[in-house]
Amino acid sequence: MSETRQLTRNTTEPLWVRVMLITLALVFVAILLVLPLVAVFQTAFQHGVKPYLAAINEKDALAAIKLTLLIAAIAVPLNLVFGVAAAWVLTKFDFKGKNVLSALIDLPFAISPVISGMIFVLLFGRTGVFGPWLIEHNIRIIFALPGMVLATVFVTFPFVARELVPLMQAQGREEEQAAVVLGASGWQTFWRVSLPNIRWGLLYATILCNARAMGEFGAVSVVSGHISGLNNTIPLQVELLYDDYDFSGAFALASILAMLGVVTLILKKLLEWRAGIKADV
Amino acid sequence: MSIEISHISKSFGDFQALNDVDLKIESGELVALLGPSGSGKTTLLRIIAGLETADAGSIYFHGEDATERDARKRGVGFVFQHYALFRHMSVFENIAFGLRVRPRKTRPSREVIREKVMELLRLVQLEGLEKRSPAQLSGGQRQRVALARALAVEPKVLLLDEPFGALDAQVRLELRRWLRRLHDELHMTSVFVTHDQEEALEVADRVVVMNKGKIEQVGTPNEVYDKPATPFVYNFLGSVNLFHGRVENGHAVIGNLQVAAPEHANRSETQAVGFVRPHEIDISRESTGTGSLQATVTHINAIGGMVRVELEQKDSREFISAEITRSRYNDLDLKVGDVVYVTPQNIRVFVEDYDFSI
Repeated sequence: MSETRQLTRNTTEPLWVRVMLITLALVFVAILLVLPLVAVFQTAFQHGVKPYLAAINEKDALAAIKLTLLIAAIAVPLNLVFGVAAAWVLTKFDFKGKNVLSALIDLPFAISPVISGMIFVLLFGRTGVFGPWLIEHNIRIIFALPGMVLATVFVTFPFVARELVPLMQAQGREEEQAAVVLGASGWQTFWRVSLPNIRWGLLYATILCNARAMGEFGAVSVVSGHISGLNNTIPLQVELLYDDYDFSGAFALASILAMLGVVTLILKKLLEWRAGIKADV
Repeated sequence: MSIEISHISKSFGDFQALNDVDLKIESGELVALLGPSGSGKTTLLRIIAGLETADAGSIYFHGEDATERDARKRGVGFVFQHYALFRHMSVFENIAFGLRVRPRKTRPSREVIREKVMELLRLVQLEGLEKRSPAQLSGGQRQRVALARALAVEPKVLLLDEPFGALDAQVRLELRRWLRRLHDELHMTSVFVTHDQEEALEVADRVVVMNKGKIEQVGTPNEVYDKPATPFVYNFLGSVNLFHGRVENGHAVIGNLQVAAPEHANRSETQAVGFVRPHEIDISRESTGTGSLQATVTHINAIGGMVRVELEQKDSREFISAEITRSRYNDLDLKVGDVVYVTPQNIRVFVEDYDFSI
């Protein structure tokens, strides 16, 4: 017992240093994280529950919620497929240009979301590269749902692949090779061996991707038309209401996103805990 | 099923893993591919399995060209060094995998699969563990599951990549004897890769010694150990003493030692190296003329039945390692610092035009 105490004393900092560091960290967390979160909910409910529900039940707010859910429902599955395919290709095969592909996947993380939005305007806008052709065929991409989905898919593209690549790299290729030698087809190998091995990582990546897809502001803002009730997502509607000095409305909608964030964190922790147990067996 | 490897070459970037390799493996044989790391043995095994494609050359299974045949259609069983068990499946599901993924027409019924898996579990002595997950097994048990999984599809060829490499010494010894017995029961053409010469010599019918992408020698364990074809094989299989000297007119001259070397009769004076195994060196108190070299005892290790004596040759100061019986040691009454005469009983002379690095 005394030996452990001696050891602890020798390997840790003096008490006052520890107290100071811990206090500093807690103060920062309180000011930067807890306080704003509390403020969001406090402002949202400042006139009581009824106005809160009314603000959410409002026509344009409901439209924003529906649109956000719709975009996420399209973008997340798309990125799930893209991400798994990209991670699979990057980790299980060797080919020329692999490093280039790997770097390109990170591109959306590297550039500002506003620029991402601009790219799509430059491509599909009225005066853009494909603009005239699109107008000719009466297809609307910019200032409409397709453009917002495209922008969201672009911005959230790296989440799944980046989560899966290290995991699949660590798992190696031998299990797949074992499956192939045993006669499994590529499809069987994927569904029976590769996919089950990454299921927890995949779920985790999906949750993160979804949170970002629903919360994305910059890129979607550029390609949306900011028409309330038509193509405003929750973050855009929050901005609109806030600019109109409708604080309780803005904060009521913001609280939905904040709740989504909290739920995401809890799910993430639960998954990490679950995965941790798995790894220990 | 016999396997014929013909002019196989393979490189990874600048690294030549295999260089024009020819090998014939007879049906029912247990063959060891033996060599240091980087010798190309694992690459050769993976090419036989179809997990790697050769740059040039052909492979014939039972006389049929299988070079382009897909790995899943080769009918081989492959056991990986690190087992490669499906981590999310139970032992039962791991072994059943090869049967479950068969097309509906040839897939056995549930009951047949169950019976087959249970029979294999008995064979690898893991009855009662079918519900465990791979993570709950020891290394030796995992390797046996991997073997059972490979055997489930009734392969015509069994390929094992360093099958005991990741196990501790005791389990290793047990498993390799067990593998030999298993092979004698099943009589399946088997090829295993190892860098452990003892393992290769103990288990295999024939040993293929590889180095730097080429085959140095193919032969029974006795042949490769007693009659090494190249200096590399001599050096790789067991410890060996090197005596530097020269050959002239069918004689090797090392210091004041002269031995007949009829295989080099046509050579004019050339630098040469004589190879002698430690147990082929005799130590005596008296000189035998041109048959022995003077040396000083530098170290004695008298543990076990054989006594290991280290000596330093008087002229060249070359290091010599000798193994003598305990009774011989007692007769000689050797002590460190004694000056004695060493007589190589069996010396193999190679002229120095080879690359000797491993």
